[in-house]
Parts: sequence; C-alpha cells; structure tokens
Amino acid sequence: MKNILSLVVLIGCLFIASQLFVTSGVSTEWSSRQIDLLKSLSLSALPKLEIDPSNSVAEDRAAAEFGHTLFFDVRLSGDNTIACATCHQPKKMFTDGLPLAAGTKVGPRHTPSLVGLAYSPWFYWDGRKDSQWAQALAPLETSHEHNTNRLEIARLIDGDKYYSETYSILFGNLPEIPQSPKGASPAGNIELKNAWDSLNEKQQFLITEVFANVGKALAAYQRKIMPGRGRFDNYVDALDEDRDPAGESLTSEEVAGLALFIGKAQCVTCHNGPLLTNNEFHNTGVLPITGQLPSMGRYDGVRFARADPFNCLGKYSDANPKDCLELTFANDTNDLVGAQKTPTLRNIKETAPYMHGGQLKTLLEVVNHYNEAPVSLLSHNESKPLGLSAAELQRLEAFMNTLSAPLATEEKWLNPP
Amino acid sequence: MNRPISFILLYLLVTTTANAQQPDLRIETSEGLRILIHSQLSPLQINRIHSWHVKVIDADSKPVTNALVAVTGGMPEHDHGLPTQPRVTEEINPGTYLLEGVRFHMPGKWSMVISIETEENLSTVSLDFDL
Repeated sequence: MKNILSLVVLIGCLFIASQLFVTSGVSTEWSSRQIDLLKSLSLSALPKLEIDPSNSVAEDRAAAEFGHTLFFDVRLSGDNTIACATCHQPKKMFTDGLPLAAGTKVGPRHTPSLVGLAYSPWFYWDGRKDSQWAQALAPLETSHEHNTNRLEIARLIDGDKYYSETYSILFGNLPEIPQSPKGASPAGNIELKNAWDSLNEKQQFLITEVFANVGKALAAYQRKIMPGRGRFDNYVDALDEDRDPAGESLTSEEVAGLALFIGKAQCVTCHNGPLLTNNEFHNTGVLPITGQLPSMGRYDGVRFARADPFNCLGKYSDANPKDCLELTFANDTNDLVGAQKTPTLRNIKETAPYMHGGQLKTLLEVVNHYNEAPVSLLSHNESKPLGLSAAELQRLEAFMNTLSAPLATEEKWLNPP
Repeated sequence: MNRPISFILLYLLVTTTANAQQPDLRIETSEGLRILIHSQLSPLQINRIHSWHVKVIDADSKPVTNALVAVTGGMPEHDHGLPTQPRVTEEINPGTYLLEGVRFHMPGKWSMVISIETEENLSTVSLDFDL
C-alpha cells in the first residue's frame, strides 16, 4: 500500500514537473546568433553617451546642478504650481501615471519617460525636437503645461541670486532684462505676441538666448537619468561569460517570454539596443486618443523640427552645421504618417499607462494590441498579426517585468535640491 | 536614352570584418558597373548614423566620374523606408562618392536601391542584405 502511495506521489510530481515545462515551453539553450542578439540588448553594451554638439554645457556638472534646481522649481510656471518634475516624477521613472499629462490643464499626450532619453536623437512622441535642450523649452511656453513665457523666465533667472550667479559662470553675464511688459513670447497667445513685438530685435535675441540656456542646463541635468542593471542584464551577461544562466534569476516563464521577444513576437525589431528602443517612429495602428483626430505623427514632427528656431542648425545651437546629421538627413516621406516614437522598455512596468495617449492601461493590453495588429485609421499599420496564445502573451509580460531596476543615477539627482 | 531599369542582382558580399581594403557591400549592375561600398561604420550596425564611400567603376575598372549617385532603401517586410534620407554630398576621389546620412533602425532584411546616372545612361540595381 505504501509503495502504491509512493508511486502515486511520484507520478503526481512528474506530472506537475511536465506541466511546468510545458508552461515555460522553452529550454535555455540559445543559438550563437541569439546570444549575440541578447548581448546587444544588455546594458553592458550601452556605449558612452556621446556629446551633444548643440549644447556646450551638456557635460558640465555646475550646469547639471543648475538644471536640477530648475527641474523642480514651480516658479517656472505661470501660476507657480508646475515644475518639470510635476509630470516627470522621479519615483515613477520620470512619468506621472496618467493617460494624458496634466500641467496647468490636461494636455493632448502621455508623459514619456526620461530614462536614458539623452541617447535619443529625437524628442516628443512625433520627434518635433532634435535635442534635449530644445525639447525642454517647449513645455515652458505651452499654455496647458507650464504656461509661462521666455521673458518671465529670463526675469526669474535675473532675480534669483543662485540662478543669476550660476548663469553668469556658465554662460557669461546676463543681459539687461526689460521690466515691462510683464510677459512676452513669439510662441504665446496674441497678448504675449504683441508684447514680444514691442521689444526691439536685440532685446528679443538676448531674452531668447537666456531662455535657450535655461534649456541647456535642464538638458545637462536630464542626461544624468540613466537606467540601472536589472535581472535581465545579469542573465544575459552570464550567457556572455559562458556561465550557467540558470542561476541568474530569470524564471522559466521569463526566459520563455524573452525567447518570444526576440523571436515570434518580433518586439526586438523596434525595441532593440540596450535601451530597448531604436528611438525611431512607427505606425502600429494604435487607436486615436479619445476626442482627437488621428495624429499625423512623425510626418508632421519632422517638419516642426526643421522649422524650430532652437534646432541644431539654429542660431541658439552651439553645433557646427556639419554635426547636425540627424536633422540634415531626416526622412520626411509619407510612410511616417501616423508614426509615433518607440519608447524605451527599461522600467516599463512602472510607467503605465502606455502609448502616446496612454490608451492602453496594462502591458498585457499592449502585447494583445500587437498580437492583433489592427488596421490603422491613418496610413498603414507596419506590424502584422502575431498569432500568439494567451499563455505566450503572459510570458511576454513576465519578461518585460524583468526590465525594472533602480536607476543608475546618483540619489541626489532623484530628489529636489 | 535611358535604358530600362534593371534589378538584376549579380553578386553580393556582406563582410563582417573591419578590413579597410575589403568593401562592406558590393554589387554589379546589368550594365557592367561595379559598385563597391565602404561603410565608415564597419561592420554595419543599427541605430548609428554614418556615411558610406561608394566607389563606382566600369567594366574596364576605370572610375565612373561626375555621375549622379542616389541611394534609397527600406524594409519590404515592414513596408517602410529608411529612417533617414541619405544623399551624396561630394565626389571625394574620382569615381568615389561620399554618401552621408545612412542609418538603419531595425534588424532584418534591408533592400537598398542604388542608381548611377551618367551622361550616357542610367543604371539602377537593388542590393539586399541582412542586418
């Protein structure tokens, strides 16, 4: 009787083990080609951040500290309530957890993560900015975000002892900032534009130069925000070093998800490189944001970037025009209609909801979207249906959860100064 | 005057070495023009903008000078083009053209179309490779 019981227990254990294997459905035997691909996704393969030729203070620590203070300063808003950190919250991986960003009002786009963003040649979901400093300027003057203007920002820098002293060290003496009008900008409403027109050309240039330098300091700070190594990176590096990856903290479910990620699910076609993004633009048939017309995406974005006075070729840029390769050779063809920027998947678990309008609440909804590859309302969906099972979708989600880790950024940068 | 555009792929070599003498890509048009591509980022890789030296020689191994060289490309499987619009900015040596603004943003099958226009004719050839 005891033997029969033992046999039943043994058979039961074998059954459970076999089911676990079926659940994982993959062995950890990778081909050499797969290992090469996996190595290209590890943070160990992340190159040193290249200089930004358009921003001469990008690597300056004093500029980063200046930018750090500015990033958390609500005085950079029309009603003294909104800072960059209001939407880009360090505790949420520099996002806000909302479908659409909420500055002074709710805006039209989801707040993107800033993690590793300094590696990108393009900014905004549609790539309308070609540098991190040019990007940092736009929300300041946007009515539903900070709702302030360049004249008031120049006056703030001039009137604050730390700001004005630091500015002088980094950029030279501040120009004389006119005490009237109260506010002025060529990018504002009709009152601000009229006020701007009341200033002479030299005043306009000098005020805009201060404004651009504020952006350059903000960018110097944001370049510090980098992803940290997670379980995925440790797993891949164990493969690289020919150690047994089995002991490197990925479950069989997560490994199965990884195999799908680089294989059948084709995620790696766009989510590639150590930051798991190609920083490019793709139409993947995401539904338009409720209440909005379908976005033209990168098709419009590249045209905005070319027309931007703060772009790499503009007079506020520190770059030699020959260094502005991305802007000079940017594509602008029809296949970019409806294309939005590929986001990083680093810390993706903590940056819900997803897509340019926060349309999808969970990672499972996201992978389900790609599995179905719906018809795009504008132009065409580049992706094709994947034919993944419900279990496979869950494995993909399990894998993406392994991409979370504390940031590789000094603690001081993650808190207000 | 223009001959029909041909897409005959005669031979293709994708090297994985950084040997400066060995082209990264090469192809011959149906008209007998040989195109040797030395990528300034070798081996070829994704997500980095770079330039190519495109050397064009004729069947007698003489450089084809003063040609209009144009390169476009894309991924037929994904129905999209390159993320950039590369263009020739200079003929740096007789028959060798500097193509700037090349960047690939996805691994997979890429198809580049190279056209060489001289006073005599227009040759177009399709160059396919995996990244």
